[in-house]
Amino acid sequence: MSTEESIYGDQLPRLEEVRQQLVRKVQEVRDEMIREKGFDPVEHCLSRIKSEESMREKCRRKGFPETTESALEKIYDAVGIRVVCSFLSDVYVIRDHLASMPGVTVMEEKDYIRHAKPNGYRSFHMILRVNGSVYAEIQLRTISQDTWAALEHQMKYKKNLNGNTELIVGELKRCADELASTDVSMQTIRDMIVSSDS
Amino acid sequence: MKILLAEDTRDMNHVLTVALEHEGYDVDGAYDGEEALDFVKKSGYDAMILDIMMPKKDGIEVLKELREENIVTPVLLLTAKAEVDDRVAGLDAGADDYLTKPFAMKELLARVRAMTRRKKEYAAKKLRFGDFSLDDENFELACENSVRLSVKEFELLQALILNQNHEVSTQYLLEHVWEGAGDAGADTVWLYISYLRGKLSSVASHVQIEGERGGSFRLLEKAH
Repeated sequence: MSTEESIYGDQLPRLEEVRQQLVRKVQEVRDEMIREKGFDPVEHCLSRIKSEESMREKCRRKGFPETTESALEKIYDAVGIRVVCSFLSDVYVIRDHLASMPGVTVMEEKDYIRHAKPNGYRSFHMILRVNGSVYAEIQLRTISQDTWAALEHQMKYKKNLNGNTELIVGELKRCADELASTDVSMQTIRDMIVSSDS
Repeated sequence: MKILLAEDTRDMNHVLTVALEHEGYDVDGAYDGEEALDFVKKSGYDAMILDIMMPKKDGIEVLKELREENIVTPVLLLTAKAEVDDRVAGLDAGADDYLTKPFAMKELLARVRAMTRRKKEYAAKKLRFGDFSLDDENFELACENSVRLSVKEFELLQALILNQNHEVSTQYLLEHVWEGAGDAGADTVWLYISYLRGKLSSVASHVQIEGERGGSFRLLEKAH
């Protein structure tokens, strides 16, 4: 007979619609900037609807009942978009375009680029409410920040580090600070190239 | 290399200036303590030679004021033979070396060479300016955030901090940070100044670097 009902109830098509709307917007900004400035601000853009399984797991972890209401009103990342940008300034360009979309309200913003997390993590996070009903979590970061996050993620799930945890955490922080420094240098060089063009 | 010589006896001042210039140093000569401090406000030096007995401000007072302002340029004090207490006071106030009058010119020149050679060891471990700190062991620039600087960026920022009381010219930076490397020019300095401006702002520091391409630069603490 019918399998267990989805935690999203009958709302999946609306989530899917919002996901596509946001991805389309990012693509529009890319097309516009390539046309007008000759460069693509985005390296790549990923999106997903949180899987049934991890949404239920998150409800349990947060102590919410496993209901459609929890999934859509208490947890904000049923729709998730990650935009990986070429340069630091591109992160803020994309941020501005998303924040000013019609029908979009910015519920929360965390600039972990300006204030990196103590472990060195850098990204720009926003929670949007789209069409007055659906929440979406946006993560914006540069290629270097994305590379760092990927490695840090691997480490987090590796249990046995031969007692080197402290060393590795310290070294990852150092790498984050070196990459951040390089991101600023690359931005400076690009600004210099762009200003000598005009 | 640039040396500040503060000595009130005209003949002595002249003889020392000629000898130092003969060795290839640029020498600014001051005739009293206040004039010495005026010179320090206008430009940076690689070493200073201060006579203790001078009008207006004596050598030890000048030295104390320099060290209070975080100026770590090596200082050689000139003392008269009987002044044991002066030598102790001078070393305690942050002098790097002293020489008792009368002295052989050869010895003075050797001490100046030794002092300028050792220069790098005199820098503080952690430099501070305004709201940021700069660690000389791991090149970490830190304010609300931290980033790691490259060697040249570190040396450039260090030069700006050590010369915080006056502007430093592109030429001075080329000589001291790039040590006259043939492929470095005004554009190199400007690019590295631009890197540092970006990095100061990326750690959310309010400190700015004043100056234009090819000109002189100085750190400036902006109000929040």
